[in-house]
Amino acid sequence: MKKIIYNKFFICFFALIGIVSCTDLDETTYTELSKSNFYNNKLEIIQATLRPFTHMQAWLAFTGQNGYYYHNELSADQVAWPQKGRHAYDNGDHIRQHYHTWTTEESRLLNTWSLMWTGVGYVNAAIEDIQQVDPEAAGITQEELESFVAESKVLRAYHYMKIMDLWGNVPIVTQVGMPENPETQSREAVFAFVEQELLENVEKLQPLSPQLLGRISRAVGYAMLSELYLNAEVWSGEARWADCITYSDKVINGDGGALAGSMMLDQDPLGPYNNTNENSPENIFQFPFSRQNDFGYSWASFYMGFSNMRDALDVTYSGNNAFVVIPSAFDAYQENDIRKQEWFLFGPQYKYGTTEPILGTEEYRDKPLVYVNNIRRNTEGQTGEGSMTDGEENSGARFHKYRSGTKDDENYLENDYVIYRLTEMYFNKAEALIRQNGGAATSEAVALINESKSRYFSEEDWPSEMYTTSSLTMDELLAERGREFIFEGKRRTDLIRFGKFTTGAWWDKTPDGDDHLTIYPIPYRQVQTNPNLEQNPGY
Amino acid sequence: MKKQKLLDAKSFNQKRFSKLSFVLRSLQLLLLVVLFSAFSTKAVAQTTVEGNVKDSEGLPLPGVTVRVEGTGVGTQTDFDGNYSIDVPGDDSVLVFTFVGMTTVKRTVNGNNTINVTLENDQQALDEVVVVGYGTQSRKSVTTAVAKVSEEDFNQGVVTSPMDLIQGKIAGLSVTRAGGNNPNSSASIQLRGLTSITGNTEPLIVIDGIPGGNLDLIQQNDIESFDVLKDGAASAIYGTRGNNGVILITTKKGKKGISQFEYASYVSRDYVQNKPNFISADQYRDIIDQGIIGESNDYGYTTDIYDELVDDTNLSQYQNFVASGGGENSNYRASLYYQKLDGIALENDREEYGFRINFNQSAFDDKFNFQSSVATNFNNANLQGGGQFGIITDWNPTTPIYAEPGGDLNNQGQFGYYQPTNLYNPFSEYANRFNLRKQYTFSGDAKVTYEIVEGLKIAAFGSYQRNEWNDRYYESTEDWANINGDYRGTGYARKGNHVDYTKTFEPTITFEQEIGKHTFDLLGGYSYQYSTTEEYSMSNSGFNTDSFLDWNMGWGNAIIDTNLPRPGLSSFKEDNTLIAFFSRINYSYLDRYFLTASIRREGSSKFGANNKWGNFPAISGAWVISDETFMDEQNTFSNLKLRVGYGITGNQGIPNYQSLVTLGTGGKYPIFLDNATDPTYYQTLGAAKNPNPDLRWERKKELNFGLDFGFLSNRITGALDVYRRTTEDLLYNYTVPQPPYVRSNIYTNVGTIRNSGVELALSAAVINKGDFKWNVDAAGNYQKNTLVKLSNEQFIVAQIDGGNIGNPGNLGNAIRNTEGGTIGNFYGKRFAGFTRDGQWLFHKADGSVGTSDQMTEEDKTIIGNGMPKYYASLTNTFRYKNFDLTVFFRGKFDFDILNTVDLFYGNQELLPANVLTSALGQYSQIKEAPQYSDYYLENGDFIKLDNLTLGYNFDLPQEGNFKRLRLYASARNLATITGYNDGNRDPEVQDTGLFPGIDYRDFYPRTTTVSVGLNVNF
Repeated sequence: MKKIIYNKFFICFFALIGIVSCTDLDETTYTELSKSNFYNNKLEIIQATLRPFTHMQAWLAFTGQNGYYYHNELSADQVAWPQKGRHAYDNGDHIRQHYHTWTTEESRLLNTWSLMWTGVGYVNAAIEDIQQVDPEAAGITQEELESFVAESKVLRAYHYMKIMDLWGNVPIVTQVGMPENPETQSREAVFAFVEQELLENVEKLQPLSPQLLGRISRAVGYAMLSELYLNAEVWSGEARWADCITYSDKVINGDGGALAGSMMLDQDPLGPYNNTNENSPENIFQFPFSRQNDFGYSWASFYMGFSNMRDALDVTYSGNNAFVVIPSAFDAYQENDIRKQEWFLFGPQYKYGTTEPILGTEEYRDKPLVYVNNIRRNTEGQTGEGSMTDGEENSGARFHKYRSGTKDDENYLENDYVIYRLTEMYFNKAEALIRQNGGAATSEAVALINESKSRYFSEEDWPSEMYTTSSLTMDELLAERGREFIFEGKRRTDLIRFGKFTTGAWWDKTPDGDDHLTIYPIPYRQVQTNPNLEQNPGY
Repeated sequence: MKKQKLLDAKSFNQKRFSKLSFVLRSLQLLLLVVLFSAFSTKAVAQTTVEGNVKDSEGLPLPGVTVRVEGTGVGTQTDFDGNYSIDVPGDDSVLVFTFVGMTTVKRTVNGNNTINVTLENDQQALDEVVVVGYGTQSRKSVTTAVAKVSEEDFNQGVVTSPMDLIQGKIAGLSVTRAGGNNPNSSASIQLRGLTSITGNTEPLIVIDGIPGGNLDLIQQNDIESFDVLKDGAASAIYGTRGNNGVILITTKKGKKGISQFEYASYVSRDYVQNKPNFISADQYRDIIDQGIIGESNDYGYTTDIYDELVDDTNLSQYQNFVASGGGENSNYRASLYYQKLDGIALENDREEYGFRINFNQSAFDDKFNFQSSVATNFNNANLQGGGQFGIITDWNPTTPIYAEPGGDLNNQGQFGYYQPTNLYNPFSEYANRFNLRKQYTFSGDAKVTYEIVEGLKIAAFGSYQRNEWNDRYYESTEDWANINGDYRGTGYARKGNHVDYTKTFEPTITFEQEIGKHTFDLLGGYSYQYSTTEEYSMSNSGFNTDSFLDWNMGWGNAIIDTNLPRPGLSSFKEDNTLIAFFSRINYSYLDRYFLTASIRREGSSKFGANNKWGNFPAISGAWVISDETFMDEQNTFSNLKLRVGYGITGNQGIPNYQSLVTLGTGGKYPIFLDNATDPTYYQTLGAAKNPNPDLRWERKKELNFGLDFGFLSNRITGALDVYRRTTEDLLYNYTVPQPPYVRSNIYTNVGTIRNSGVELALSAAVINKGDFKWNVDAAGNYQKNTLVKLSNEQFIVAQIDGGNIGNPGNLGNAIRNTEGGTIGNFYGKRFAGFTRDGQWLFHKADGSVGTSDQMTEEDKTIIGNGMPKYYASLTNTFRYKNFDLTVFFRGKFDFDILNTVDLFYGNQELLPANVLTSALGQYSQIKEAPQYSDYYLENGDFIKLDNLTLGYNFDLPQEGNFKRLRLYASARNLATITGYNDGNRDPEVQDTGLFPGIDYRDFYPRTTTVSVGLNVNF
């Protein structure tokens, strides 16, 4: 009897375990959002549509040291990140950008690849998910749904255009995770894909209006087409100057809408960049950063000096004294050019609104900080041109194009970062006109460039500074384009189109051996991971 | 107690083990149990033997187990050491056993009175080893288990319980890379690295609570550490066994001994070595030599390093214990207070708490209830300790305090000199606080019932909770706020963290002797649920410092958009771990031993396709010295061979890694319903690439061991050789982009192999009269190889890390390559200097070039930071009432990257402060710092880690005081090393993937001197 009792006891004992504790290992998320709980209404659909936009600032704007901006500026002739004493050797990364001696193992290039394709992935995912939404259940119309898809497709085309600019031959993928190892397509094929996607969708977009701040509007689509056709000869092998003029004109004429009334050049030399630039009449596409709305604008770390410069600008941020202007790029401006006075920090630096000097902290520790137009060891008596390894804390003119305003300004740090502005359409059209004309300026082209340039000279200086059909040579057009778009992340593309990127020499940079450097190598790690990726020629 | 072996319901097969089959197997077990109990026979009482048991000092020993060999008959001695037992016949043998004492056997031979004296057992062959869900006698242990008991603990100040056994166990590395900072923790690693991204520290089990919190353990409450080193031993802990298991047993009340104990010490840290930075006088010399300009002399003399040192630091420890026990119950209550005062200002930790346990039996010890409760309250001041790095930038001719309006470049705002681009630590001390209050609790209870002789069921439950509250404040006068984001207002932050774990573990055990066969079987179930909840908030805009962080809503940043947005966050996660386990211990003739176990465990953390895993183990031992053919020899008094193989897992990864979740991407303007102004909403996209196949990392380990004793066990030891292979290592792999959205996937690919040899030796060198000299030595060799990182789908050629840092962003120091050993330094090879002091390095093609000519191809493996050999030596001397412990510890065959010399032995950094060697040994360097093998040095060292002298007073037998001991102890007394000419401590991080880097952590290494006292009454 006793044994039987024990028996029962055990059965109960283990049954208890089985029932009470079971073997349930399902996971519950609390702080993370599961995809199955999303896409329920219009706002949620927009939130998903806009994820690639917020991601884009990481690789396109100069906030990122691993992005498109870094590669497009630091490999060109205007901006460098030289070693300054103990600072900024950084494994020689920036030195190799300047010398064009990069390899397939550049970590910053891998990060850029990854960031840009993550952007493509976000767009692909958004398109896939939105197309599965039942518009009725989500409370939106079929038209609204389609306009979100069109906007996403144009954005995706923009990603491919920029990826094609850096790497040329890349896969074309429009689905998440499919195919597993996509194959490399030729640059021509990528170009054709971008063109087709833009042409199919641009007309479905809404015209630019204040409510489309930071979004893909029809004007933005036209601007993309203008850029695509301007570079068509490089990217596809076939010049498309007339198409470039067509789409530049559509923007210029306001066919795609306008941000503020009608499209026109901003006469304020700081207007497109200042902290109220969401109202600039020439801006077409911009990242609407807003400190007050918790999407801050943080360019400081690369263009701003150390914390001693806080007092010079009366701001609360500081940076790491990274990017400087190459001396020849600063010399490219006439002294009477308002841009030279307004867009740079140069010479002795004072505490804001006073004549009390800002003091250095490195080579000029506790001595007045004076930005000089050379990059060399002046404290050690070095003369000449200097080099990428000879910088000091005060080397080179500095960035002042985007100004945050002082910390008491009500719009302090509200600047948007501009991607397309009307002036670029003027330059695109003018260049297309001149190239159509065999490289000789036409009067229409001269008028366009002069309309931009005249903003930066006094009335008395202007007659001697204005271009004529004879003075606006191709070299001069490239130089003026450089002066106008300095710091805007476009210089490498321009140098390539003008044939100067590999053949040119500037400051510490000598001409390259051949042209393969006009596209970057596919990062080694990616070639390793995807056997169907082909390395670019020459690497 | 020796026979507390455990039973296993089933063999170590790897069949899938569902809940149902477990129940079925339990029924089978039950049947077995019933059969066994039917056969078990009781001895028939014939003669009664009485007697008394004493220890070598003649004191009565209560609680000694007395049993008749070969039967189940047994009893225990009472308060006065007396016993009485019925024996079946004259040839019966009585066996007297007591923990820590030699076992004595006496044949009855017609005696009615047998008095015995038990000697302290030096070799502890009969020590009880805790093996997880049970104990075993040392003799029957078949796996690699090391034990350190209280008498062998490191003495003196203990910041973490692991300090007690630092260097004592071969293969266990305990490193304090942060020096003796009371708020830094020790990193622990057993037998090398087993994971890249998962947990790499051993599982801590405190009195049966898996995942026990070390904060709940204070030094005087610990009875012993038992370290399960090999796979066969730790497989019973399944998915948490990869890094070994450390079982901590706390002290319990003893039957018949009611006593109070009081223990106390005070201690002080002294700076052991100070970095040789340029003093104010030397700085002025440099100015006089024209190397730097005159404007750099501010006319003051400040040694900022000395200023940051708290010369008056004083730590103390107080512990009061009441313990005792009656016939059926015992208890122990321990209260403690500890104040640890770091060598730095504003750098201390105050702890107090208690641990109480209680144990009661009924029904002739068949029913047992035991429970313990422990708490720890601690208040940590985290403000200081991290400021010593300022020495590298501080101009030694500048003052700390300055009057407003003075002629210094900075106007000395609020009384403190404010250097440009730097901070003044004393201004921070005055204007900031950073405090953590932590409260840790555990409570557990275990009910055991012996249903029939040898068959016990038990249910164990525990609740462990860890909670802390952080407070941080920067005042309106803080240097960073004056011109910073907070615009001269105060900034406050508060946060709260709670994590708790609930554990429920019912077990069933059965032990049975059938003739020459002994079986111990164990079966059990384990359920553990853990969760973490956090919230925090921050705000600025406090125009007054009156509220500190006690009125968070006051801060004007709530409405003033010129101030940074207030921060709000909260967080919760949880996970569940469920297991079924069983084990069988079998012995034949008490000479051949076999143990087999299996644990089937599931964790919520893994992918839907791979939640469950099986973790089997088998091990055996052969006591060769008990064989008859060994009777003739006198060399070996003990010789035992062990072989074990076990598979364990690692579930120590973050939660939710296999799920598809959406992550936020920052806010973007949305104009809803034609609004004229935008609202900024979060954007959302894929947070990771999902991996539903995510599974366990699995370690397979084979261990050969040899336990030996010579010369009547005057020399004993253990030799272990192991080879462990950890497969399916988790790592974030680069995926093809396109088509994946995110750049990485967390998946199982790699393999790490560790192999090594461990040797532990103990010797009673001299044991003559009043003088005794014992030596304990432990040493090990280990090799860690990253066997595989890639497969066909996922490829990683190397894992780089160990960032050297800024200025100059010199990149990673260490590269772990597929097929290579772990911890290889990878960089440029120094080739000399140019005439004007520029660096020259070797290029891959054999030429020499300057730093700007170096490319990735020119780098190579230049050293290795992982020590290959570890050794320690404990000498214990006793003469009459004195005892002296001298403990040495060393690590050998590794390189250290000296980043201090790298960055600061360089005069290019002037006028910032530099080492004196910048103008001496390194004066030819005229270029900014570069990383190369120039700064790699041999790291070998031997450290005199502990020197303790104690005196035990002779106390009158009849007096109230039973014990009085005074001692003085010094830790980290001297280091013999060639590293940096002995100027820096060579004990740097030696765990993880990136060992051997001497980072620029200037927290002073200290020698700690303490004086203490123990009283029992």
